[in-house]
Amino acid sequence: MIEQVLAAGVVLTTPILLAAIGGLVNRQAGIVNIALEGKMLVGAFVAVIVSAATGSWLVATLAAALVSMVIGWGFALTITRLGANMITAGLGLNVLAAGAIGFLMSIIYGSSGTLRLPEVALLPHVFPQSVEAVPLLGPMLANLDPLTIFAVLLIAVLPFLLRATRFGLWIRATGNAAPVVRSVGLKPKLMQEASTAFAGFLSGLAGAQLALASIGIFNEGLTAGRGFIALAAFYFGRDRPWQTAAACLLFGLLDAAQIRMQTVGLPPRLIGALPYLMVLVALVITQMRSLRRAQ
Amino acid sequence: MTNWLNRGLGFAVPLLIALLVSAVVLLAIGENPLDTFSLMLTEAFGSPRRLASTLSAATPLLFTAIGTAICFRAGVFNVGADGAFLIGGLAAVVAGFSLPAELGWALAPICLAIGAIFGAAWLFIPGWLLAKLEVDEVVSTLMLNFIAAAITGYLVNGPFLSAQSGNNVTPLVHEAAELSRLMPPATLHSGFLIALAILAAYAFWTRRTSAGLEGAWVGLNRRFSRVVGVSVQRTIILAMVLSGVVAGLGGAAHGLGQLHRFTDGFSAGYGFTGMAVALLGRNTPLGMLIGSILFGALASAGTTIQLFSNIPLDLVNIIQGIVMIFAVIELGRITIRRRSKT
Repeated sequence: MIEQVLAAGVVLTTPILLAAIGGLVNRQAGIVNIALEGKMLVGAFVAVIVSAATGSWLVATLAAALVSMVIGWGFALTITRLGANMITAGLGLNVLAAGAIGFLMSIIYGSSGTLRLPEVALLPHVFPQSVEAVPLLGPMLANLDPLTIFAVLLIAVLPFLLRATRFGLWIRATGNAAPVVRSVGLKPKLMQEASTAFAGFLSGLAGAQLALASIGIFNEGLTAGRGFIALAAFYFGRDRPWQTAAACLLFGLLDAAQIRMQTVGLPPRLIGALPYLMVLVALVITQMRSLRRAQ
Repeated sequence: MTNWLNRGLGFAVPLLIALLVSAVVLLAIGENPLDTFSLMLTEAFGSPRRLASTLSAATPLLFTAIGTAICFRAGVFNVGADGAFLIGGLAAVVAGFSLPAELGWALAPICLAIGAIFGAAWLFIPGWLLAKLEVDEVVSTLMLNFIAAAITGYLVNGPFLSAQSGNNVTPLVHEAAELSRLMPPATLHSGFLIALAILAAYAFWTRRTSAGLEGAWVGLNRRFSRVVGVSVQRTIILAMVLSGVVAGLGGAAHGLGQLHRFTDGFSAGYGFTGMAVALLGRNTPLGMLIGSILFGALASAGTTIQLFSNIPLDLVNIIQGIVMIFAVIELGRITIRRRSKT
């Protein structure tokens, strides 16, 4: 049973993790991205359509990421160049994305809510099925898809990228001291746009993973608040890569265990609220600590 | 004069962008935008019955918009009206079917008050956390929305589940707890009048009371407010609590007047649409009244249009999303203008 929860939990962690990485880089550059959810949904939608059309999971995944990236970039422009408020614009983008997808689904496919297309190519499994024999980790390893491995690799190198590369430094400087960035001749707005596009790219990947990991069917409720769980994760991890990843894994396992806890009698709806409650508690603790330190 | 012009522009520009985009979308699917818009206008305002259903759809939005505006003008970025709407709605409905029906005419006001109290208590949490611990209110209210949805979703499928009618709904409230219908058979109920009364109270509060003035001061300049002796902490908590009262009342009115029960999916994003209305109306009473009627019209006309043509209801979401993205562009300009004047 632990094996199954672990296997399901890792699959459920990946989309949250991908989106959270995008969100945390975005926030390090000074933009709180509330629109991860909408961009994930767009990614999932594009992934299913392209996968059915081309029969290639790789093309589908890249298409999803690119479309979400362009949307993220456009979203960033309204904030940096037009002075839109990032919170309301983000919530607005979520509404707009859901509306546009619903509109396209009923106009093009004549369906409402769910989109089933023939011959959707799913994500392949990286390891041969024989790894299932490995104790404890077997089912998890057998289920591993390329995007999960990509997410893990990315989170492993992210601290280095942010700390030691020029681009990482620019990103962090933009979020912490935009005037300084401007004074050394760089463009903080451009940094913010790039980081939001990056967050869009990763949200698109997250959506693709969500849609193509096991079912290959698109549904309007597919993301089910995972973009906000990702937001919760990087708030919980205070924008630090590994802490954020740990939070994502926790939320993913919680999601996987939810179905099983139901049989024990714990209401799934309440368990589903745990990540949000945990963020609230974590924020309170962090603030109490920093206030005490300030005194 | 320039102030009025500015507000008018702030109202018109996001709407025009949204209309333009939806016109392009309609052209792309081979519909005539002008025909569609005029059909929507007729469907929304063409007859007393249609007007009633537009106003009925506007009612929850007016509540959540006022609730949001109370916080916005105090500089508190509260996105939690939706949660308070749910909590207040469930509390009022539960009171409406579990209190003795013998209370008679007093039952409805009691239920409304209970809804308001629960809404207030709900938003007191992020208000207190912001004032005392400086916990970011955007995140806390956003998280509380999900928590409210989870709690009410659990309760309506568990302890308060109706024994008669399957799943996801509570029992119906007593007839005495129902808010009266103004123009039967339309669903327009006296909750709309309550919303108007609250709008009037909001107008009075913002313009004629010292608490309302202090709220605006805190929103414009916290440091200045502190210097002149306004308690910023108290103002923030007060704004959140009042916001909770209004949003909770909105949920109560929706439950007692519109649905007569609580259902899973009780709020169709009313908190967020209300936020769009508050932004569009620049927190002004008149602007919010027009804005909520407009969005109410979109929602009620959108439903009928979907029935009679092949234009999906999702067009309404497209319009709302665009308004929310572009509504705030002008907001920045207004604060700059204000600052340069003072």
